Amino acid sequence: MATTDKEVKELIKREYEHGFVTEIESDTFEPGLNEDVIRRLSEIKQEPEFMLEWRLKAYRRWLEMEEPEWAHVDFPKVDYNSISYYSAPKKKEDMPQSLDEVDPELLKTYEKLGIPLHERAKLAGVAVDAVFDSVSVATTFKEPLEKAGVIFCPISEAVQKYPELVKKYLGSVVPAGDNYFAALNSAVFSDGSFVYIPKGVRCPMELSTYFRINAANTGQFERTLIVAEEGSYVSYLEGCTAPMRDENQLHAAVVELVALDDAQIKYSTVQNWYPGDENGKGGIYNFVTKRGACIGKNSKISWTQVETGSAITWKYPSCVLRGENSVGEFYSVALTHNYQQADTGTKMIHLGKNTRSTIISKGISAGRSSNAYRGLVKFGPGAEGARNFTQCDSLLIGDRCGAHTFPYIESKNKSAIVEHEATTSKVSDEQMFLCRQRGIDPEQAVSMIVNGFCKEVFKELPMEFAVEAGKLLEVSLEGSVG
Amino acid sequence: MLSIKNLHASVEGKEILKGINLEIKAGEVHAIMGPNGSGKSTLSQVLAGNEAFEVTEGEVTLNGDNLLELETEERAREGIFLAFQYPVEIPGVSNLQFLRTAVNAMRKHKGEPEMNAAEFMKLAREVSKQVDLDPAFLKRGVNEGFSGGEKKRNEIMQALLLQPKLAILDETDSGLDIDALKVVSDGVNALRSADRAILMVTHYQRLLNHIVPDHVHVLAGGKIIKSGGRELALELEERGYGWLGIKDEVAAQ
Amino acid sequence: MKPAPTLSSAFLQPPGQTLPAALLALRQQRGTALADLPLPTRKTENWKYSSKYLKLTDEIAATLPVSGTPAAAAPGYCAVLRNGVLVSDASNLPAVAGIRVRRFSELSDDEAATLAQRLDGTLDRQAVQLAGLNSARFEDGLLITLEPEAVLDQPLFIIHETGAESSGSAFPRIYVDAARHSKATIVEEYTSSGTAVAMTNTVTEFTLGDGASITSVRLAMEEQNVQHLGATGVRLLDNARFESHCVGFGGPLRRHDLQVRLEGPGAECKLNGVVVTQGKQHYDNHTTIEHIAPHCNSEETYRNIAAGESHAVFNGRIHIHQDAQKSNADMNNKNLLLNNGAEIDTKPELEIYADDVKCAHGATIGQLDETSLFYLVSRGIGRRDANVLLTMAFINELVDQIPVEAVKETAQARLSDFFDQTFQEA
Repeated sequence: MATTDKEVKELIKREYEHGFVTEIESDTFEPGLNEDVIRRLSEIKQEPEFMLEWRLKAYRRWLEMEEPEWAHVDFPKVDYNSISYYSAPKKKEDMPQSLDEVDPELLKTYEKLGIPLHERAKLAGVAVDAVFDSVSVATTFKEPLEKAGVIFCPISEAVQKYPELVKKYLGSVVPAGDNYFAALNSAVFSDGSFVYIPKGVRCPMELSTYFRINAANTGQFERTLIVAEEGSYVSYLEGCTAPMRDENQLHAAVVELVALDDAQIKYSTVQNWYPGDENGKGGIYNFVTKRGACIGKNSKISWTQVETGSAITWKYPSCVLRGENSVGEFYSVALTHNYQQADTGTKMIHLGKNTRSTIISKGISAGRSSNAYRGLVKFGPGAEGARNFTQCDSLLIGDRCGAHTFPYIESKNKSAIVEHEATTSKVSDEQMFLCRQRGIDPEQAVSMIVNGFCKEVFKELPMEFAVEAGKLLEVSLEGSVG
Repeated sequence: MLSIKNLHASVEGKEILKGINLEIKAGEVHAIMGPNGSGKSTLSQVLAGNEAFEVTEGEVTLNGDNLLELETEERAREGIFLAFQYPVEIPGVSNLQFLRTAVNAMRKHKGEPEMNAAEFMKLAREVSKQVDLDPAFLKRGVNEGFSGGEKKRNEIMQALLLQPKLAILDETDSGLDIDALKVVSDGVNALRSADRAILMVTHYQRLLNHIVPDHVHVLAGGKIIKSGGRELALELEERGYGWLGIKDEVAAQ
Repeated sequence: MKPAPTLSSAFLQPPGQTLPAALLALRQQRGTALADLPLPTRKTENWKYSSKYLKLTDEIAATLPVSGTPAAAAPGYCAVLRNGVLVSDASNLPAVAGIRVRRFSELSDDEAATLAQRLDGTLDRQAVQLAGLNSARFEDGLLITLEPEAVLDQPLFIIHETGAESSGSAFPRIYVDAARHSKATIVEEYTSSGTAVAMTNTVTEFTLGDGASITSVRLAMEEQNVQHLGATGVRLLDNARFESHCVGFGGPLRRHDLQVRLEGPGAECKLNGVVVTQGKQHYDNHTTIEHIAPHCNSEETYRNIAAGESHAVFNGRIHIHQDAQKSNADMNNKNLLLNNGAEIDTKPELEIYADDVKCAHGATIGQLDETSLFYLVSRGIGRRDANVLLTMAFINELVDQIPVEAVKETAQARLSDFFDQTFQEA
């Protein structure tokens, strides 16, 4: 039934929706990286001395490191001196104090992306921090959050306002020298979000950061830090898009989560960076280090990600399960097509007693793309009674793509139990025939089958995002029938 | 309603159907019987438009329109329904979502408004009771983890929801115990109406005790070699296929 | 950063010169290629978990002498190799039409030239660089040829004895060339004598023509003074079938790479493996199945049991090439960790470039099931016996499948000794 296969391939064609460029005047550094650049960056951000020292130390460390080559991705070497390390829309005064002062061009940009920032149009129940290139341009719902004692602000603001918290936790989960890209980020991170949930507080609304790369030839190096004190709860969402450009752009972020006793952090990502065109030209290099530390007893960190964008993805949101009975979760959908390459997965490091983790990974490869799951499940000697369940499923669409699974499983505790399963399948001709025989369009049928394949992950997303994610896949699968 | 003339079809270059002629009128129930490998299932797949089968000769019209020109989904929307012998599983896609998508595709085709989730849920619950399926099945993945009997009942439920003009039942009785057979037959009998035709494909005649056909045809070697009324099925049961000059191990047992 | 240590030149000193010229030249060439080879470290992906056990000290660089009488013998057809060289007196080679077992050193120049071209042909040399040291060092070797349709009526036992009366290494080399529709069962038993520090560095290759069928059984049972660095390469053409049963007992370093290439449509392989380790022992199995042609099947089942402070490693890779549509590949790896202090690492990998395939893998690590243990104890079985019973049960399914009765018995006896030691009465 070769025709059906052909149809499925046609169906996977898609257009990138968010590829427009915002025409706005920016302050942008000359390309290049050295200690002076870092000093200037720190100065612009009016950072305290300790921050500059921290950055410089990371930079010196980075110079000694080598770029990792073990991932199942293939791309020309990045010239780190051809990238600009800071770009921000020109400001009339220092920091917009209210949304009225934000450049209307920027507000329009976010509205176009479906993230209205205006008071009257704000997303109900979701507080948004909008990051544009290297700076945060607006944060909504500041007041009700403050009332609850929740701190949700750009990290550059936190460095000034809450230096003690930043000092204590920044780099505590992902040390500056953790890996090549984390070291680079530590040296040059520009903006991102800082979240602090005090003891016993359940954050009254979803927190969300929307990252937008706009300027050409810049890198985005966002840094996010979330600290959940004893017994607190927060759900955080992150979205990302970028314009369509022929050059590759670098995005090297670090996200650190800290959960103390009985605290819960739910972190969701819908990653839709520009993936490059159908010939593999352009697109974002997405090299991200995300890690959460379940320090406290009974704490829980849950990562959910829907990855449809980026030319290259290198990303392993992880959990270090230190506290007794702590729980780590990783739910992932990664869709690659055309020439996209993704090497993504998770690490679950079980150190404490009775720690538990679940990994559900769904990879969909189409076109000439390559989609790899890479994961580590590790039980230390102290991980008495620890458990992991892992399920990695791959769906192939077309015979020119690759789907790979590289799971590392290491155990040093006899009472720990790990179960790992992996399968590979395609959208079968029989499934297509059944759907079509019931009168369903081939496009709708593929979309339905792919969504069904991802269902276990989508159900972990907050409601607003689940709908968006479903639509995103649908867009990905839209096109004409051949 | 359905007119098949000199239909030839092959799969992977091997000819399976070698000139089928058949006329089915609205309101009629036809049964096609025959030994294994005679081409019964091929005929039903070809009518539904499975692209694995290639039509090499002949014509098929539905109410005068050329059926072979249409895509699978277009045929479905024109009223052709195939109850599969081996219904495929679609993990993660709930039965409810699947059925509503199908019903709405049909309604849209007819220019009727689409049904919302609540309306459809109500309808689906009623119909599921008709085939004795627990409405909880609606929330499960399409055929996912269903027993053989549940799959068959699910097929009939779909027919009841989609209200086709021509329902083709491919070995719907296989794998059913006597109670399940009764439930499925009741479902099929509920489908019978003056403006609908039913084509049953079966190896055994036991289904025909429950759904009484108007016409019975014997298919062997890709051709219809004998046609008659209900009594032909009974005769086949009594005498096997041998007296027609066909070998059939299964019937002989 | 200090440079990684490289393979000592002592390992590349020229061995004996008694082989035909083509083989000498091949050895020479392989040796040159290994000069300055960086030794694996924790960061070398395929030695990640095992590099610390590898002790390629100059002490074991010398080739162990052939002299000395082999202790081992086997029923039926057997080829006894002491330190890599056939001991004719102790052997009983098959006299079957169409089947020849010859030493490399007795080949004509033409035959040797052909063999030199084919040696290493079943292996991804990059992946087995270290075991490939064998190609630079083999003193002699055994060429087993099966002509078309030839059938070996009984299993052929190859007894590899590493005679460690002095320090050094043995480099046994086997090449099995099974022409179309031939059939044989070949058992390889690795044993050792003597107590000096030593290494077995062995390579066995199988090429299977259309419809050929080879069953390979491999028992690694050297003593604790002997490191084992081995590789097996298999190449299958249309509809050929390869079945492998490996049973391994831990040691100071145990490494076996098994690489299977399904090159002809309809080829299939079944790989079974059992590993047990105790004390401070180590064992590392790396398997690779290359699905190159369409319509091939592979089935792989490996079980590891680690007790004491031992360390068992499994790495199974399935690679489905772009043209290998309609492949079926199933890999299963289960592990039992008997003590805290022991470690098990497993990595079942899938690399898939064709869409119409059925591939699955599963891996588990766990301990004995408490419920079953309780059930046995409640029926009056002692706790120790219950432990032995359940641990045996974990691998019995695989041991039972060993198709050669004598080997099965050997394996069972050794395993039962192993469990006796593991579960000593407290």
